[in-house]
Amino acid sequence: MVRRIEDLETLERLDRARDFIDHCYDHPLSLDQISEKACFSRYHFLRLFRQAFNKTPHQYLIERRIEKAKELLGGDELRVTDVCYEVGFQSLGSFSTLFHRYVGHAPITYREKVKQREQAKRQVPGCFLVMYKLESA
Amino acid sequence: MIRRMSHATIFVNNQNEALEFYRDKLGFRVHTDAMVGEDFRWLTMCTEDDPDFELILMEPKPGMLMDDATSQQLRAIMNKGVLGAGVFNTDDCRGTYEELKAKGVQFVSEPAERPYGVEAVFKDNSGNWFSLTQPTEGN
Repeated sequence: MVRRIEDLETLERLDRARDFIDHCYDHPLSLDQISEKACFSRYHFLRLFRQAFNKTPHQYLIERRIEKAKELLGGDELRVTDVCYEVGFQSLGSFSTLFHRYVGHAPITYREKVKQREQAKRQVPGCFLVMYKLESA
Repeated sequence: MIRRMSHATIFVNNQNEALEFYRDKLGFRVHTDAMVGEDFRWLTMCTEDDPDFELILMEPKPGMLMDDATSQQLRAIMNKGVLGAGVFNTDDCRGTYEELKAKGVQFVSEPAERPYGVEAVFKDNSGNWFSLTQPTEGN
């Protein structure tokens, strides 16, 4: 069983590192850089982070990037390649692979699906979209 | 001034099965069938004569409009067959009754004379019951 971290100071330091990822996810971040924010040695940090958040800092970083990529793919200002670099990935290949793994579709397919849904929404009376929480009132 | 009704919701067990029932047995056609959200399918059907009135076939699902308990309660009530969903009109109640019965539609009551016309009552495959009425002229 995973033991919960109860030491407040440790949790605050881990939060600081997580906030750092939240703000700088679009840069190439190394474990050294992230663990530095929490003032822990990298291996100690890795272990504590996983214990606190149930995922490694790297997984957290990827999720944050994918989340942002989904948001950008929902609009149509940026090409898929631009989205890839915009959210901090260094290669289109690894972006596509990871996106597919986390979301279940390739980025371009995801974008098409979002577009189809947006078009479909126009056929539905707005009150239903609101009642069914597909749009805010 | 309210002029007319354009949409009404019918809760169904399963949208695919309901679509087949309304199309293949009742003779409705699909008006709109679109995935609007990850888990939200907007499925409406209409009769050939009245494409401006859409029946929304909706599954009670937790997570959007309803919480888990509400959707389960609604399914339970639906399956009891106590929800009456409306009245459909026909020019020939007895003929339509025979036609639908031959297709396997379950009738709760056979065509009978009423003050307002001839009426039979059937159920869809989710347990919702409907009146099938041939109005007397002038009604």
